[in-house]
Amino acid sequence: MVHALEKLHTLLKPGGELIDIHPTTAPASIGVRVRAREIGAGWINEIDDYVEYEWADEALEQVVADGRFTLEQRTTFEFVWHARSLAELRAYLAEEWRDAVIDDLTAMRIEDALKSPERDKELIVREKIGLARYRRSDSRSS
Amino acid sequence: MRPVKADPENTETAALHRLADFTGKRVLEIGCGDGRLTWRYADRAAWVVAIDPDADDIELARQECPPALRDRVEFHVTRLEDFAPPLKPFDLALLSWSL
Repeated sequence: MVHALEKLHTLLKPGGELIDIHPTTAPASIGVRVRAREIGAGWINEIDDYVEYEWADEALEQVVADGRFTLEQRTTFEFVWHARSLAELRAYLAEEWRDAVIDDLTAMRIEDALKSPERDKELIVREKIGLARYRRSDSRSS
Repeated sequence: MRPVKADPENTETAALHRLADFTGKRVLEIGCGDGRLTWRYADRAAWVVAIDPDADDIELARQECPPALRDRVEFHVTRLEDFAPPLKPFDLALLSWSL
């Protein structure tokens, strides 16, 4: 990851901006919305326990520490997925988020909540995403 | 069309535009996938080079590229480490869920 950031440093003009978007290490939550009420069901876990996001953060810290980039602004936002059923969500995750895991207890809670006779219901996945702006710096000491 | 809706509230777009001004800039997007995020800023940029190692995703992005953006967005199947840089450097690089 540090090598990728070092290459980006060479691709940007002096003073150019680097925008990074990646999920935080907080697991994504899953709930079921039934009309206006949202029922928490559990979390999406990852096979590698979200460790790659820690590595990303560490790589960014390193290129800031060595003077290649300066951090200008950092924020987070909530990214939300909407699905009509657990099967639909599982199919989507299998394609788009291959190391995501929904454990049996969470799946059971989802199915129970979806048994509600209400028609206005859906699965809601909420993931906290980090967003940061860096600027190419040339203050690196050789 | 995928039945699961990802960020229909456009929270990501709003957050991105609060943090970055793409207006008139030469942008390199790394990990563009099928262009989901590209379409949300490319209309403001002067030029966008979007790369991803997944050939299927890039093909989809090329197919779905809005006509109004075709003269300013180009897609390449490549990893960042293999990307051949253009002569003129970029104003802004976007790591799109890819680091």
